[in-house]
Amino acid sequence: MWPSFPTTKGVMAVLELSEELRLLDGMARDFALNELVEGREERDHYPFAPPSEDLLAKAREVGFFTIFLPEKMGGAAEPVQALCLVLEEVCREDASLGGAIFTVALAQELLRQAGSEKALMRAFAEAASLREAVPAFPSFHNPGDMAPLLVAERGGRGYRLTGSVEYVVLGNVAGKALLPAASAAGGWSLFTVDLEGEGVRVSEPVLSLGLHACPAVDLRLEGVPGTLVGEEGKGQLYFEAAADRLSAASAACSCGVMKGSFDAALEYARQRMQGGREIVNWSEVRMILSSMAVRAKAAEMLVRRAAAAVDGGDPGWELASRAAALLVQEMAVEVTCDGIQILGGNGYMQDYGQEKRFRDAQQLQALLGMVPMRRLRYIRRVVDGESPWS
Amino acid sequence: MSKKGESSQLLREFPDFTDTMHSLVAMERIPAGVVEECREAVAMARRFNRTVARSYALELDRRMQEDPTFLPWELVEEANRWGFFTMWIPKLFGGKGWSLSSISPFVEELASECLAITNLIGVHYFGYSILVATWNIRLIDMISREVVEGEREGRPCLVSGAVTEPEAGTDAEEVELLARARVRCHARRVEGGYVVNGRKIFISNGHLSTWHILIAYEDLERPDETMIAFAVKNGMPGFSFGRMEKKMGQKGCPASELVFEDCFIPDENLLVAASQLTGMKRGARELGMQLIDFVVSATRPGVGAMGAGVARGAFELALRFARETEVAGKPLINHEWAQCLLAEMYKNAALARLSYMEANYSNSMYGMAKLLSFKPLYYYNRLIPTSMFDRWMPAANSRQATTAVFRKLVMDGQSDAEARRASGWASLAKVAGTDLGVRNCQLALELMGQAGLRHDRRAEKCLRDAKLLQIYEGTNQLNRLNVFKCLVAPAAPEARAFED
Repeated sequence: MWPSFPTTKGVMAVLELSEELRLLDGMARDFALNELVEGREERDHYPFAPPSEDLLAKAREVGFFTIFLPEKMGGAAEPVQALCLVLEEVCREDASLGGAIFTVALAQELLRQAGSEKALMRAFAEAASLREAVPAFPSFHNPGDMAPLLVAERGGRGYRLTGSVEYVVLGNVAGKALLPAASAAGGWSLFTVDLEGEGVRVSEPVLSLGLHACPAVDLRLEGVPGTLVGEEGKGQLYFEAAADRLSAASAACSCGVMKGSFDAALEYARQRMQGGREIVNWSEVRMILSSMAVRAKAAEMLVRRAAAAVDGGDPGWELASRAAALLVQEMAVEVTCDGIQILGGNGYMQDYGQEKRFRDAQQLQALLGMVPMRRLRYIRRVVDGESPWS
Repeated sequence: MSKKGESSQLLREFPDFTDTMHSLVAMERIPAGVVEECREAVAMARRFNRTVARSYALELDRRMQEDPTFLPWELVEEANRWGFFTMWIPKLFGGKGWSLSSISPFVEELASECLAITNLIGVHYFGYSILVATWNIRLIDMISREVVEGEREGRPCLVSGAVTEPEAGTDAEEVELLARARVRCHARRVEGGYVVNGRKIFISNGHLSTWHILIAYEDLERPDETMIAFAVKNGMPGFSFGRMEKKMGQKGCPASELVFEDCFIPDENLLVAASQLTGMKRGARELGMQLIDFVVSATRPGVGAMGAGVARGAFELALRFARETEVAGKPLINHEWAQCLLAEMYKNAALARLSYMEANYSNSMYGMAKLLSFKPLYYYNRLIPTSMFDRWMPAANSRQATTAVFRKLVMDGQSDAEARRASGWASLAKVAGTDLGVRNCQLALELMGQAGLRHDRRAEKCLRDAKLLQIYEGTNQLNRLNVFKCLVAPAAPEARAFED
């Protein structure tokens, strides 16, 4: 059982979950334990094993892909806190599904930021199949860091897209993708593209460090029709607004991975003998476990506080969300490294799950773009006058 | 007290000058020819990287991800053709006789391209170093000559070291822990030899090796006093290969399970039994620790060099990325923060290198090969062709007396202070190099963002591979404790390591 707060009072009250959120948390926990633990190693063998479309379909059935959407679109209209809880519980057992849920939520948020409610409605509420219900998006890249290699040209009644996009998450599962492309208006814009249309070349699945069962592909487009989302040239604006809200959710993914890593390390340390006694009784091992536990607990508090700030529109919520992501992701990289170390050689083997958490934590750190550029963006906003304090 | 006497006294105070200034001390003691050997070794590794490793590393890793049971024989044969498995076998035993000091720079160079390939080549010398540490000259000679013959005939003959057990990893590398360990690999004395039962796991190159240097215990209740080493050859009844591990990285170098079920090992394959060594200045337990220390004092700097190599490899990938990529409208290489990050990575690789070089000097002067660093012997070994050695060494090596002389010279010839110095610095270099290696891989991924996560960009493989360095050859936690025991505890005689 993960160490939890006692009945919260005073300063901790802000972190207390509502009854509704508690129920959702419980449901997500049950789902994670029942659906994600068994077969985790086999799923992680992708792309050398079949894709986990059944699991994605189950996640869709329980509403993980529509938590965020308004009720009129078939969603649950839950706040960011709810998304964070689901991501945390899911990633505690298998972050690959968390990567997929996050990507879908990010695409939805981008559409929302762009005011494309109609596109949202078409994309999700009316979706008959998994393929229609999940959009693909390059969620590990901020197009503002490196100029898009995809170019949109206006021609006739719409736009035609030519060029390439790397690491499009769910690109071989989704029917449609939301893609950034440079256009004549300057900057970049968002377009929806039919991935089954003519001129779209989808690569073999990209083999990556972590989140193996959250598939990604490279796309090559040749004069492919694209539908502009929002206004031309406003892509960066939409992306940054979406990143403000969902950075907390990306932190939740890393937080879940940390908890999973600690749980496994503690269980192992209680059983493994060294020098005639359980390794949990060696003080250096306790020191490492303590460091893991403290950081994971701090991450849990940070994510919940940041998510509550986002939902409550607290002063400075945007920076709170981003700070949480930067710090929690960094801590997750450290914690999962220790998580392997506690298990020694066994931790390095795929049978124990710790090596997967290490890879996943490192991969999750790149969500929403390069770490150094996110750090620089954060401080630029502070330098430009945004207050980092509540 | 004279001024000289006072200075001497001051220099012996903690930290002892001799414990801390290995490169300075080595300047007058290490033969100058070692520098030229290191140059040649690095050049050879660069040539191998360019012609073999660079094009094969990713392909092999991907193949192993797809099929973890694949055995990279093609690579073993290629390394055999390059002569890598006999370079550090002494000419006394038919090898090329390169000095041990040149192996770490060679390893760093290989590791800058691919740690899996490096380990596949380097870990042969882990097995070989256990063999040598027993100072059983007859068996060293016999096995060495099989390796040399294997190279000549194109049939690779590799040596693995079988130490780790399912319930004893760290425990097997320190007698204080071994005394309370749950080891299970038991050697029972029978007429004409021993019957061994037990399993060894995580044995690098197990499936690819012909000879396996096995550590077992005659009494499982007193493993620290009854350590026993055997040379086990493929095909011996009762010996078989078990599963191959599914590792996160270093996939191209298999980690094997070795299974011993009523495996009869004849007396002629007994390398050494600590309890049977008589007439030595140390008892069985201390001799067991000395054997472990002989090995790890030589191999841990090598793992530190692998850390330096992967730190460099990650740095070079990051540098290339920074030169090729435009970020926020200008080349990444021209962002001040990126320049500082690249400088940090360069510094990390340099510090890792300095650490393993110091440990190398320490091991050359105080470890098991210190005889070979004695200048007249070094040049004799270097300049006399192997064919000359081959005329008379095999006959001498087969005599029991030769083994006795070597054991007396090398084992009794090493003082406790020398053993402590070599072992402590080996651990220090291992921890420093491997931590810095992992750190640089993480920095490379931070710098490269999404691109760094892709298998085809190599950086993610560096990280997966590097993590194992913090675990094998003793976890970094064990090695920190060994640094305490060997280098810090002399300043705190009341301290007891490994007791907590």
